[in-house]
Amino acid sequence: MTLVNFFQLLVSGIAMGAIYTITAKGLFITHLATHRLNFGQGDFLMVGAFASIGMLAAGVPAPLAVLGVLVLMGVLGYLLERFAIRPLDRLGDRAGAYSWVLTTAGAALILQNIVELGFGKSAQYAPPLFSKTRDNVINILGVGIFFEEAAIIIAAFLIVGAFYWFLFGTRWGKAVYAVAFNPEAASLFGIDVRGVVVLVFVLAALMAGISGVLVGPLVSVHPHMGLIFTIKALAVAAVGGFTNPVGILVGGLLFGVAEAFSNYWDSAFGDLYPLLFVMALLAFRPSGLFGERRADVR
Amino acid sequence: MIEVENIKVAIGAVDILHDVSLRLEPGRLVTVIGANGAGKTTLLRTLSNVVTPHAGTIRFDGRPTAGIKPHVLARAGLVHVPQGRQIVPGLSVRDNLVIGADRVAGLDRDAIAAGLEREFARFPVLKERQHIPGGNLSGGEQQMLAVSRALMMRPKVLLLDEPSLGLAPQVVTTILKALRGLADDGLAVLLVEQLALLALSIADEAHVLQRGRVALSGPARDLRKDRAVIESYLG
Ligand SMILES: Nc1ncnc2c1ncn2[C@@H]1O[C@H](COP(=O)(O)OP(=O)(O)O)[C@@H](O)[C@H]1O
Ligand SMILES: [Mg+2]
Repeated sequence: MTLVNFFQLLVSGIAMGAIYTITAKGLFITHLATHRLNFGQGDFLMVGAFASIGMLAAGVPAPLAVLGVLVLMGVLGYLLERFAIRPLDRLGDRAGAYSWVLTTAGAALILQNIVELGFGKSAQYAPPLFSKTRDNVINILGVGIFFEEAAIIIAAFLIVGAFYWFLFGTRWGKAVYAVAFNPEAASLFGIDVRGVVVLVFVLAALMAGISGVLVGPLVSVHPHMGLIFTIKALAVAAVGGFTNPVGILVGGLLFGVAEAFSNYWDSAFGDLYPLLFVMALLAFRPSGLFGERRADVR
Repeated sequence: MIEVENIKVAIGAVDILHDVSLRLEPGRLVTVIGANGAGKTTLLRTLSNVVTPHAGTIRFDGRPTAGIKPHVLARAGLVHVPQGRQIVPGLSVRDNLVIGADRVAGLDRDAIAAGLEREFARFPVLKERQHIPGGNLSGGEQQMLAVSRALMMRPKVLLLDEPSLGLAPQVVTTILKALRGLADDGLAVLLVEQLALLALSIADEAHVLQRGRVALSGPARDLRKDRAVIESYLG
């Protein structure tokens, strides 16, 4: 492997890792506030990718297409909370403890089939978002890297930054922390707990949708691509330690880079090794690399 | 301000409160005392609509509260300081203070700033420690913070669930004195306590709750004289 090769793999890995981070953030925030998450997070990503392909192909300008995807994903996030989460909460103890795994995974199956009806089974490629052609290369310190990848990395970091700002800097972010701590107490000091639950599921869907838009130009897109993204996002969130938002960023980047090198080394089973590594890691450190182990307050 | 008429509350299949009635007026400090497990917390959770009674009515400001969500009641001025204080550990003292007031209609930036100054004057330790995480405060400081967080919302009614729990005697005195002062300034205060004699020493009126029923009611002054009776109910 040449040094140039090394840097190119590194950049590709960081681009994918940044996208995994965004997807995993969605899992993190609903888990933080509700101890639930969307087992169709990867399928929401798939819907975001197809929605952007569909709109770009129909000639919608890229900024408008992104806006359209966000609106669509926001609505999907709301519907998921309304029909896959809220009825279970209403049932209380009469619903099984993990029934949300089934309802959210079920919603994912419905989405897969709807997209398959509309776009067919075959793989598609999204046109590049930020440049005219897919192979537009820029030269950084003598290393040629794809402009699209560099732009995706920048966009992803801006999104991660916006997410931190939301969580730590806004009154809604603080409400999320209050609900995460104790929903009943939060309601006693005036926080609309159900509103916060809807908010985190909408945010999670937005994060999946943005990931879908960004990943479209990098990988082939097909209706059943979601599951592997769900698994990888879960792996990243688990490495990051679910409770630690900075850990997820580091976990996501490590995972993406590991995957890029692993695929270079073994093109047939490259995706497998990072996942095996995460499994081994979790066997020894169940709270991930960065999560602190602590008692569940509920 | 608050009228409770014959409420019955069950959690699951277990009856917890039986025909509890009480009234709370502005400027009055009413205490509900009772042993552990008597139903004090359940009574306050019912007043806040966290728990729904299966009979009886609760009126706040003359209107029945049935069906109103807890956060809406809180924003309207029925503010409940829960048992165990429930300070959000990861948020700063200041964020904890503002988090409720921030959601009350009619409290703008200036009103919130004025509220902070007022609470910092009431409990100066909160001003000193305003930038550290709420979880790093001592128990007594957390209780002051919980009371101030509620007062930041400009309540009409303040419900307090065992503010003395686990605190040193001097801190308890500080907090109870502050509550008496609030009632004297016109707030309606309902104080739930296990420390009966302390609560009776500052209250206007008292109810003794025993296994979910009001066993004894009257002016706090009268109940205070009758230690033997109180001890038999609280024992
Ligand atoms: N969520 C609950 N589920 C079942 N039983 C409860 C629940 N909350 C309270 N109880 C029961 O109701 C009774 C009164 O409890 P509580 O209102 O907490 O009393 P207090 O605050 O006076 O100590 C106790 O016997 C308690 O075990
Ligand atoms: Mg109690």
